Amino acid sequence: MDRQLAETVVGAEATVHIYDDVVVKRRRPKSYRIKELDARLRKERTRVEAKIQSDARRAGVPTPVIRDVNGCSITMERIKGEPVRYVINELIAEQVGEVLGRLHSSGIAHGDPTTFNMIFSAGRVYLIDFGLAYYDGSLEARGVDLHVFFQTLEAMHKDAQSLKDAFVIGYAKYCPDAMRVIDKVNEIKQRGRYL
Amino acid sequence: MIVLGIEGTAWNLSASLVNDDTVLYEVSAPYIPGSGGIHPREAAQHFASNITGIVRQALSSTDISSVDAVAFSQGPGLGPCLRIVGTAARALSLRLRVPLVGVNHCIAHIEVERWKTDLSDPIVLYVSGANSQVLSYRDQRYRIIGETLDIGVGNCIDKLARSAGFSHPGGPTVEKLARRSHNYVPLPYVVKGMDLSFSGLITAAKQALKSVCIDDVCFSFQETAFSMLVEVTERALSQTGKSNLLLAGGVGANNRLQEMLSVMCEERGARFYTPKLEYLHDNGAMIAYTGLLMLKHGVHTPLELSGANPNFRPDEVEVLWIDN
Repeated sequence: MDRQLAETVVGAEATVHIYDDVVVKRRRPKSYRIKELDARLRKERTRVEAKIQSDARRAGVPTPVIRDVNGCSITMERIKGEPVRYVINELIAEQVGEVLGRLHSSGIAHGDPTTFNMIFSAGRVYLIDFGLAYYDGSLEARGVDLHVFFQTLEAMHKDAQSLKDAFVIGYAKYCPDAMRVIDKVNEIKQRGRYL
Repeated sequence: MIVLGIEGTAWNLSASLVNDDTVLYEVSAPYIPGSGGIHPREAAQHFASNITGIVRQALSSTDISSVDAVAFSQGPGLGPCLRIVGTAARALSLRLRVPLVGVNHCIAHIEVERWKTDLSDPIVLYVSGANSQVLSYRDQRYRIIGETLDIGVGNCIDKLARSAGFSHPGGPTVEKLARRSHNYVPLPYVVKGMDLSFSGLITAAKQALKSVCIDDVCFSFQETAFSMLVEVTERALSQTGKSNLLLAGGVGANNRLQEMLSVMCEERGARFYTPKLEYLHDNGAMIAYTGLLMLKHGVHTPLELSGANPNFRPDEVEVLWIDN
């Protein structure tokens, strides 16, 4: 089948080809490391990423449906919409809170929940790019996720505080100890180490 | 301006005089363990017996009244060693009636290399016995954006070397043996986001020594540990959008690590500066030069705040000498 390539995104680890109907993410070989190790890491990580993304979906988090996992590449559904970064308002921020709340209460941390890694499509917020995601339900893991998200709000939006407040309302609906996570965020912020 | 700097955090006791442009004098009295690794008390005793000698030697190279300040390594490092150096520095500062400057050892590694290169705003990979960190400057601080969750990579290499019966420091021996092998034995590779963990790797490598030839273990160990470091460093470059890389700390002397970093940088169009050996290892000049930078920006350390700080983190230091 001939697919129309819409866009190519090159990250630190992988190259993402976006076609009309699907997205293909492929981990590139790294020539600094030896072949055996390189092959093992790319394969393992691709498998884990696909598994976490499906588990998240099973936990009620909108994510692209995985169509195929082949060696070092994942083919998944393309979500057509706008990155949350460009459309965020209080209603969407609250939805982001619900989505991350569901994800966290299922014991998964996203690892890189910037507003670029969320797509607003047909009234729903989808989480994408589980490349840095991991299974960890600890306060620390959840706190780091929230901190990364808040940082992108502060960097991009003038009314960051009201967006954060809306987010917390959504987050607390699904994450029972939301307030302890928020406290953790302040502690993590003090360390000043995450970007 | 001339600053006397005294370094003594672990193995190397070193005194140096620098001015704004160059290292005027440097003398070292390294502690070499008789057997095993660095013993904190023995290292401190070695420092105590040698510090008067090296300071006298450094000061006799210049007119003593030309010294404008005394800088010392305040941490991170072994408490007993830091206390010897701190005591000497305080006494000198009082005697010479010049300001005292407590310097962060990690920041000194970075600054001395920046002094000698034109690398602007680099990502720093700092790898030594006790430390493994990736740092990036932002808003008056070197931010730690990734680091080891347990032991430093150098410590890990030393442990491997000791289990194989090599003398301290084990790095050069491990590197030499690794070059003789191309047979990779799978070992745990642990990167969590931007952080690293080496404790499982060393346990597995020590286990492997029982059944696999030493060359293969050294090779597999280096490939695994260094790939972890390079991966996190690359991610730091990617996330910050920075395009210069600086390598600091004693493990940076390893040729394989340097090679891997330069391949990674070449692939992404970043600049990698291969540092000089004399600045990768602990040295007095880096303390003296960083003390000079701090003093020129109005920072000195009052006596009551000059105590040893074994867990001194680089992001505790307000960096005033870099223009944003």
